[in-house]
Amino acid sequence: MLRLTLAMARKDLSLTLSRGSGLVQALLLGLLLLFVFSLSQGVGERMTPQSAAAVFWLSSAFCQVLIFNQLYALEEANNSRLGLLLCPAPIQAVWLGKGCAGLILLLLAQIVFLPAGVIFLGQELSGPLPQGLAALALTDVGMCAMGSLLGALAQGQAARESLLSIVLFPLLTPLLLAGISVGAQALGAPSADGPGIWLGVAAAFDAVFLGAGLLLFGHIYAGDE
Amino acid sequence: MPKFSALPQWLALLGGLAFAACQWLIYAYAPVEQTLGLPQKIFYVHLPLAWWALMSFFMVFLGSIAYLWRRNPAADRLCAAAAETGVLLSGLALVTGMLWARRSWGVWWTWDPRLTTTLIMWFIYAGYLVLRGLDLPQQRRNVVCAVVGIVAFLDVPLVFLSARIWRSIHPAVFGNKGGGLEPEMRLTVIACVISFGLLWAGLVWIRKRQLDLAARLDALQQNRLMQEGL
Repeated sequence: MLRLTLAMARKDLSLTLSRGSGLVQALLLGLLLLFVFSLSQGVGERMTPQSAAAVFWLSSAFCQVLIFNQLYALEEANNSRLGLLLCPAPIQAVWLGKGCAGLILLLLAQIVFLPAGVIFLGQELSGPLPQGLAALALTDVGMCAMGSLLGALAQGQAARESLLSIVLFPLLTPLLLAGISVGAQALGAPSADGPGIWLGVAAAFDAVFLGAGLLLFGHIYAGDE
Repeated sequence: MPKFSALPQWLALLGGLAFAACQWLIYAYAPVEQTLGLPQKIFYVHLPLAWWALMSFFMVFLGSIAYLWRRNPAADRLCAAAAETGVLLSGLALVTGMLWARRSWGVWWTWDPRLTTTLIMWFIYAGYLVLRGLDLPQQRRNVVCAVVGIVAFLDVPLVFLSARIWRSIHPAVFGNKGGGLEPEMRLTVIACVISFGLLWAGLVWIRKRQLDLAARLDALQQNRLMQEGL
């Protein structure tokens, strides 16, 4: 299973990154969102850390939708999905491989979004950085576990981006709240509770949906059109 | 012609009549709350709505597991009926909750864990109903909806927990011993929840039966087309 997972992730990453437009669409959409929200500040005003963290995670969530749509669209041409289904390995390896590829692509996008957010939204990284990075990692893992599971359901649909968004975004609420709260603290907002409780929420979300993904992906990724 | 039991109609009728009778309990038996006054009576409608909406979503969860286990289309139709009822009831719970919030806290909307959880559940299950309406092969659509039905309910405790950590200003109704309610108020709430439960059971059952009949008609039409060689 691990071999197919790694092969799947490597194949998806090389196909996505070697194409000119690979991650560009998702990156541009995220950057555009950051820029548009920066217009909500008056001249000389500074957006609150919580608002800035919310905009950052909104950009990441839209970017994630585009990433997983793109990853699952790779197998739509020439019925390649059937090839994957016939592969003598657990089908969960496809979910895990696409999740890993999506995680790397999302992290690459966030490497751009983070400085862009600091610049456009007038922020400073003055809070606890290790906890901020831990929240980033935990939130990204949960988003990719869920994105990889539900990305498969929208395959073959005409309006799959909007379909995935309306199903995925409300489900991601606990994770986004955790990311926003710890992100705001990393940007210098004071908090009575500290980041620990939110890291626990994000870890619980990851545990629940990594388990659900393993159990349910086999049902959703099948040979029927 | 299959014969159908009249039980769901009786349940809905009995529930409706019982809930109408509860209005006497609400306005004549239960005392007027000292701080909020008459608007507190919204609570007796709001709580059953929210309670049975959550039960509807739990039923979607159970039906989805049953569908993935046995691939029985009847389980899928039960999920559809429960989800539609749940979205309707949670929508009404949101409206009554907003009326309560306006009177109680002076704002139409607030980040209260229960209200926020209801709103997020409404969004999730409204998306679920959009999925159900997609033009997909029936079996594929059923499987996709069953997976989303399971994932959606697994998310509910996490949504509630995160909304609670974010901020809480909701009164603890059943939190403490004694529930923080007068005995007359508690009896009225229990009567409202039970009578609304009868109405809810009748509604879900009748809707499920409609979906069963629609599926039967579709199957008959397909058979006829096949016999005619079309």
